[in-house]
Amino acid sequence: MANLIGKSEKRIDGYDKVTGKGLYASDYYNQFPHMAYIKAFRSPYAHAKIKKIDYTKAKALPGVIYILTGYEDVRWDDFPKMAIIAKDEVLWAGQAIALIAAETEEIAEDAVKLIDCEFEVLPFVSDYYEAIKPDPVSVIDPEYETRAQGFQDRPADRATNRVSPNIVGAYYMHTGDLEQGFKEADIIMEDEFSVGKKTASPLEPATAICKYEPDGGLTMISNGAGVHGVIKEHICRVLGMPESKVRVIQPYMGGSFGSRLSPYVELQTALMAMRIKRNVSYRFTRKEVFTAGPSNWSCTTKVKMGAKNDGTIIAHDYYLCEEIGACVNNTFFSGRLSSSGAAPCYRFPNMRMDTFAVATNTVPAAEYRGLGCPEAEWGIEIMVNRLAEKLKMSPVDIRLKNIIDPGERDIYGEVITSIGLKKCLLGVNEVIKVEEKPVQDGSVWKRGKGCAVAGKQNTPLGRSEAKVWYNSDGTIQLFISCDENGMGATTAMGQICANEFGVDLKDVKVIKGDTLCTPYDNYSASSRTTYNTGNAVMIACADCINKLKTEVARVYGLNPKNVEIKGKKAILKGTYVQEVDIPPLFKHWTMFTQGNWGLQQYSPVVGYGVYCPAPIHQWGPDGKSDRVWNWFQYSACAVEVAVNEETGVVKVVKIASSADTGNPINPEIVKSQIQGGVHMAIGFTTMEEHLYDEKGAQSNANFSDYRLPTIGEMPTNENVFALINPDPLPDGPYGAKGMAESITVPVGPAIEEAIYQAVGVRLNYYPMTAERVLAAIKEKKAREAAK
Amino acid sequence: MSEIEKIRVELTVNGKHHVLYVSPCKTLLEVLREDLNLIGTKRGCDDSNCGVCTVLVNGQAIKSCTMLIPLANGCDITTIEGLEREGGLHPLQQAFIDRFAVQCGYCTPAMILTAKAILDENPNASEEEIRDGLHGNLCRCTGYTKIMEAILDVRDGKYKESCGEV
Amino acid sequence: MRFEKYFEPASIKECCELLVEYGKDAKLLAGGTDLVPKMKAEVLAPKAVISLHKIPGLETYKLCDKGVTIGALMPLRKLSLCEDLNKWPALKAAAGHVSSMQIRNQATLGGNACNASPSADAVEGLMVYDAIVNIAGPNGDREVEIADFFKGPGKTDLKEGEFVVSFFVPAPEEGTGAAYRKFAIRGDTDISIVGAGARLLLKDGKIADARITLASVAPTPMRAVKTEEFLIGKTPDEETAKAAGKIARDEAKPISDPRASAWYRKDIVEVEVYHAILDAAAAVK
Repeated sequence: MANLIGKSEKRIDGYDKVTGKGLYASDYYNQFPHMAYIKAFRSPYAHAKIKKIDYTKAKALPGVIYILTGYEDVRWDDFPKMAIIAKDEVLWAGQAIALIAAETEEIAEDAVKLIDCEFEVLPFVSDYYEAIKPDPVSVIDPEYETRAQGFQDRPADRATNRVSPNIVGAYYMHTGDLEQGFKEADIIMEDEFSVGKKTASPLEPATAICKYEPDGGLTMISNGAGVHGVIKEHICRVLGMPESKVRVIQPYMGGSFGSRLSPYVELQTALMAMRIKRNVSYRFTRKEVFTAGPSNWSCTTKVKMGAKNDGTIIAHDYYLCEEIGACVNNTFFSGRLSSSGAAPCYRFPNMRMDTFAVATNTVPAAEYRGLGCPEAEWGIEIMVNRLAEKLKMSPVDIRLKNIIDPGERDIYGEVITSIGLKKCLLGVNEVIKVEEKPVQDGSVWKRGKGCAVAGKQNTPLGRSEAKVWYNSDGTIQLFISCDENGMGATTAMGQICANEFGVDLKDVKVIKGDTLCTPYDNYSASSRTTYNTGNAVMIACADCINKLKTEVARVYGLNPKNVEIKGKKAILKGTYVQEVDIPPLFKHWTMFTQGNWGLQQYSPVVGYGVYCPAPIHQWGPDGKSDRVWNWFQYSACAVEVAVNEETGVVKVVKIASSADTGNPINPEIVKSQIQGGVHMAIGFTTMEEHLYDEKGAQSNANFSDYRLPTIGEMPTNENVFALINPDPLPDGPYGAKGMAESITVPVGPAIEEAIYQAVGVRLNYYPMTAERVLAAIKEKKAREAAK
Repeated sequence: MSEIEKIRVELTVNGKHHVLYVSPCKTLLEVLREDLNLIGTKRGCDDSNCGVCTVLVNGQAIKSCTMLIPLANGCDITTIEGLEREGGLHPLQQAFIDRFAVQCGYCTPAMILTAKAILDENPNASEEEIRDGLHGNLCRCTGYTKIMEAILDVRDGKYKESCGEV
Repeated sequence: MRFEKYFEPASIKECCELLVEYGKDAKLLAGGTDLVPKMKAEVLAPKAVISLHKIPGLETYKLCDKGVTIGALMPLRKLSLCEDLNKWPALKAAAGHVSSMQIRNQATLGGNACNASPSADAVEGLMVYDAIVNIAGPNGDREVEIADFFKGPGKTDLKEGEFVVSFFVPAPEEGTGAAYRKFAIRGDTDISIVGAGARLLLKDGKIADARITLASVAPTPMRAVKTEEFLIGKTPDEETAKAAGKIARDEAKPISDPRASAWYRKDIVEVEVYHAILDAAAAVK
């Protein structure tokens, strides 16, 4: 069997998915008997006190089983923010006030309408600027608030030196001598940038089906991430369930992109099932996916950079604020997550980084592909392009000058062991040739080109385990609990396993996502699966192979080190046979072989593997630590766009994106991630954003007015270039690392530069909608006319 | 609200004739999923914007979340379950696997059926015409490049021998 | 989504009777692509849904010397691809710009009109050609000009018991050119930010008659009458089209909504009317 690593093996879930036979959580919606269905009563206001609420009529409706409110005796503080049912104050439009379980979904819907609720509408904050302005409205009544955990004390806004009640955490990092850096700079530029709020919008809405077991336990089937590390842990911890009585199954997931890392539907459904002791189904409507599921956190950044005439960036003063929605207490936000996007690519010898987070009365933020890096790096990459222009340098050359080389330390002090970013940049430039002017056709569509680069850290996130069975017929079963959001992780894990045993991929059956039989994994996040679970799979395979070697060696009276396993065969050294089929060595059970402690038919040889990256070391007051991230994934993007100067519409006509994936396990799956990543980023940097009405409720919470990209926004096939430029990761499985997040990061700044090259306007905000581009074009014309 | 009287609906789904008594308030999507257990047809936005509920009604692609069941009465319906034949997969299904046009897979059945409608109507559809036809089908994972590759392979006859005519 | 009664009347008369009986509690079902999502979102909550599909003849079209009569249930995609209707390219184009292929297979011309949405694309095709709406009612049939059919967002001229059975679209005179342009961010799948239709009748190189119609910029689909007046007697060149675009911009009365701001719509009206006029002039054979 040839080496399977770097081979584009067909996806193992392909058949199930093209035939419609693969089951998703939503396919279990009404598959169990005696099911109850949940519908939520949600706040129409961004901020209000519940003055009076009357459930009498709703309760009286035949078929209503139970009404769950914020007064339930549970530890709401431990719930993910999206799942917290309001008590007497609602903090965003869409927050649940009551969940109704009924015999049918229709009855539950009717009952929701019968709830009589009187609100006292309170002032609200819907964005960063509102949240930090002098004497802002407080997002939450201060008496409810608790202090952010684990982070430094409340910071003041750097510009105004003022502390806002809405600021929830902060992170500072200072390195070198910033003042001196600016003194030595030949050129200094600064500006302020921000981005819109977006929803990941997987096509399958959040869904949880909870079976109430006769022993008082629960079986949860959901499209949430992390069967062990997220869903089971939350159910046991928050609801006080014994671990032995909670089983979580993850069928195929209809996408996540980070948005399903918070167990909001799962916890509410499990709680309901425990209350009514029945099977319960709960599925979000599309509107709820927007208003009751998480958004990203938008960021406002202030970027000031100083550079030498040769393009060396020597000073970087960086300020960032995460706008995190109604995440009011015990949140993990502090600016720290996004700050990781501030310096993964460049040296920045003198840097000050002040970052923090601010709450608003909008839907709580949570993970979204890239973990704040598209938002954090947006202004930085634009600034690098502007410096290049001012210095009359190519945007490629200025980057090559400043990008970190392998073996160097980043500004935190960590050694960068794998960085293929320069190769990535050169790769995309070879396709788009950003230094050459595009051909203009004389129409209203003006062409321009641009490029940008990005890095995204991998957070050390707990533990991955894997279990392998070598069956007596030589087939192999791999048991893992990483998520399969669609990215192809299970295929990659299967390939790693098959490769370790030297068999075809079809000889490995991957069993995933069932806490009853698949071993622990935290969850798939931060592009960690290939690295984390991949390492666990390799360790498990080695364990299994070692045991198998021992067993085979015993049959032939050999030292195990003289046995080599190649699929169904064992290669033997120093005995009377050189090669032997392994399956016949498994003895059939008879009266006369009972007591055989060796290989026995239908009893697999079992291997087990655990992999945990070293944890983060808490950073000091200077923000530095010798151990923070596992590694960085990198990508570069170059685009050619056409901007309609009459309408402001921006079309990406050609795009090249390159990923430093380490050694890719399955290149075609990686390429399809690259293509999907740029498409997603074209969407959120040119079209998608939450809009709010006068009540502070999202006014475009649907797929008609919230504009997700279609096929029309993707360049035609001959104009899409997905490149892989690996720098092998020493501690990755076969040198592989993750890649899916960094792809999205440089797309926006590359488009921004291309728009500038096309029509001469700069944009500091994305999405760069047609309206915003046209407004900028008009402003420029008015300025020119005024001259 | 008083319960509505059920109506008699005859459907031929994937060649199989069904006589059903269902509420006329149901959509074709609900009947396919709930009454006929054909769960390959998915529900995404439920208001005809995402396209994951696409099925063929008398050969034409429609969004089943928006078709009231009485309108499907007497119609010939093809769902993803109807594409696999005894000899193997439909060429589009095989091409989607071969070209890595599948990630989470939630849009895949609808994407394949929409592509089938496009090619059935115009076996020589241009890339532009195919893109136009897929405009109502959202995919969040793949960026469509590999989906187009798969459809173009089928259009260009790469599966004629292995899977037969489209 | 629930209603209490469902009917499939087999004749126009039967349908009118049902409409009288249920009045405002009834909604007609054509393709359902607008009605069904609105019922799901509870924007509409009719007690009775009355399907038009058992009434014979509503899905077809009939050509005559003076024009064509198109049944209310003609699916938009069929209409947009119909070779027999090549005399009316702006109507075909407008119908072809409604949403996605799937929706056009199901949605009907009558439905697109009777929703009385200001953004309805196919309606613009009818407006461009001065179509007549053929209405059946308990007191007999009547006709109304398409431009007078719309009374506000979601409101039509239909009286109790009445419904639309067909549209008569007059054949354009020799020397006519027409065009419809839809402006939306993601293309057809989006609801129009602006729709602009133009029909020009040229005589001796000058504009003898003009129709300029706009979608999504007023409470109803609208005619830009001042723009039309301006065009009469002019040469259909760039300069004329530019000036006409500016007049149309002033005539448009858009609002801001999640899809676009009012100022942006006005800018786009200017651009799209300019192009529509030039497209229409170029289409004159």
